[in-house]
Amino acid sequence: MHKRSSVFSNIAGLVSIVLMGFPVYWMLTTSFKKREDVLSTEPRILPESFTLDSYREAFSREGFYTSLRNSLIVVLITVLISLFLATFASVAIARMKFRGKRSFITTLLIVQMLPLSALIIPLFLLLTKLQVTNTIGGLAITYVAFILPFTIWTLRGFLANIPYDIEEASLVDGCTRLQAYRYVLLPLMAPGLVATAIFAFIQAWNEFLLAYIIMQSQDKLTLPVWLAGFTTRTGTDWGPLMAASTVTAIPVVIFFSLIQKRIATGVTSGAVKG
Amino acid sequence: MSVMVRNSKQRKALWPYLLIAPALSVILLILGFPVYRLITLSFQKFGLEEIIAGIPVWIGFENFQTLIGDSEFWVVLRRTFIFTFGMVFVSIVVGAWLAHLMVRMNPIIRWLLNTTLILVWAIPALVGVSIWKWMFSYEFSIITSTINRLGFDFAQRNWFTSTFSGFTIIGAIVAWGAVPFITISIYAALTQVPRELIEAAAIDGANSRQIFRAVILPLLMPIYVILISLSIIWDFQVFTQIWVVLDSRPPAEYYTMAIYAFEKSFGLSEYGMGAAIALLMIVALLGVTWFYIKKMVQIGDSNA
Repeated sequence: MHKRSSVFSNIAGLVSIVLMGFPVYWMLTTSFKKREDVLSTEPRILPESFTLDSYREAFSREGFYTSLRNSLIVVLITVLISLFLATFASVAIARMKFRGKRSFITTLLIVQMLPLSALIIPLFLLLTKLQVTNTIGGLAITYVAFILPFTIWTLRGFLANIPYDIEEASLVDGCTRLQAYRYVLLPLMAPGLVATAIFAFIQAWNEFLLAYIIMQSQDKLTLPVWLAGFTTRTGTDWGPLMAASTVTAIPVVIFFSLIQKRIATGVTSGAVKG
Repeated sequence: MSVMVRNSKQRKALWPYLLIAPALSVILLILGFPVYRLITLSFQKFGLEEIIAGIPVWIGFENFQTLIGDSEFWVVLRRTFIFTFGMVFVSIVVGAWLAHLMVRMNPIIRWLLNTTLILVWAIPALVGVSIWKWMFSYEFSIITSTINRLGFDFAQRNWFTSTFSGFTIIGAIVAWGAVPFITISIYAALTQVPRELIEAAAIDGANSRQIFRAVILPLLMPIYVILISLSIIWDFQVFTQIWVVLDSRPPAEYYTMAIYAFEKSFGLSEYGMGAAIALLMIVALLGVTWFYIKKMVQIGDSNA
């Protein structure tokens, strides 16, 4: 579908690169500037100084290591549980016929569309009642519920592309159904599992609103909530904030570039052909 | 023999339910129950007193009546609709325009743009808001100083005292985060349009505009429908960008439905009232959601 390049498209492309990329550029350069260059009323677009002071300051700020640890644990639990549950459920809807399958799929889709900012009120009351606010487990299970629909849906897509004959052959060769899943299907699903694991990682790592409401005590913050707390009544430490933002963004950017294609096609899968 | 066959058949029939049970229970507990609770809550007076006593007070439609009689509610509703419409319009138009231009770009520029888009897409929402907050800060804003360097005199400037410039910045943050997904999705779809179709149309004497209208656009329609529905759902409930850019204390002129419901519940502890607002949000989105889900169920059926 590619055509000969036109001057206008190329110029528009370059302008878009600058406009879209500038905020990221500004974050990076600010994070490496000296304090007096950051706090200048006449900031220069090109950086003049280089120092890691802002990073040192960010890391030594109260709560950095605690919230980093909290984020990592929440993410790890979320990824493991959601993968486990999603694998089971996706095998059921991709490989088996059963009554209520359509309702189950519809439920998954409806749930995915529920606005989080509307659900947060009863959710907070529920978690308070269960006494799991300010606990890693409470936050992780909430993330699992929000992530499951997408992970089940994506894994289903992967399974649908694995020919049924392969399993059948292993059944003919004397495998039990469970062995067929364990030794034949699971390895073939591996790329899908990796992609959905990374997706779950990104979602849990980035999430702000739920963590903001559920994890309110100072030693239970996650990284995004900790970041939002940089602005105090006395002002904002812009240099360290940009350094901390860079650190928060790096893992996501790395993982994201690995699965970006999958997500783009996952959300709209089948739409062109259908 | 026949008994054994029936038994194994029954066991087989049980498997799918065992497999979906764990996922389904988590979803029903964490998402299903809150939906039910949201509905009951909106018919209750549920504040600090009721939480402590543990006994909700049923008040029928009083929350909704109060809202309908409150002029602030209508202002917020109108603001939310305008914001949503504006955001969906801008991000879809810009995103689609960029995607269609990408096809005609020099490969190096296209690669650079694609990389930039993925980078921006990957940036966590909260990091994005922090950067924009910094770019438009009161004292050290790169934007203000650049404008001044061009010969204007803006001096130091609080961009958020005027809701117009404030919402423009919030809109820019939201669009900046949304455009990459839209552009990349449409571009991906464009590259999947079968070559033969275009060639066939060209042989039949269609010019490039006709090819676009008659061949490419109909093929892209489903993608546009999905992207527009998703954008409406996302933009209608924007919370983080408004909340964080205004230092977690947004003034009333910045309330959208999401912020309004949040303030009523967590700021004023009027959970029943907050729930009523939230329920109205869901009802307002129902039409769009319904449309989207129908489309997706079709897709799920067609390649199941």
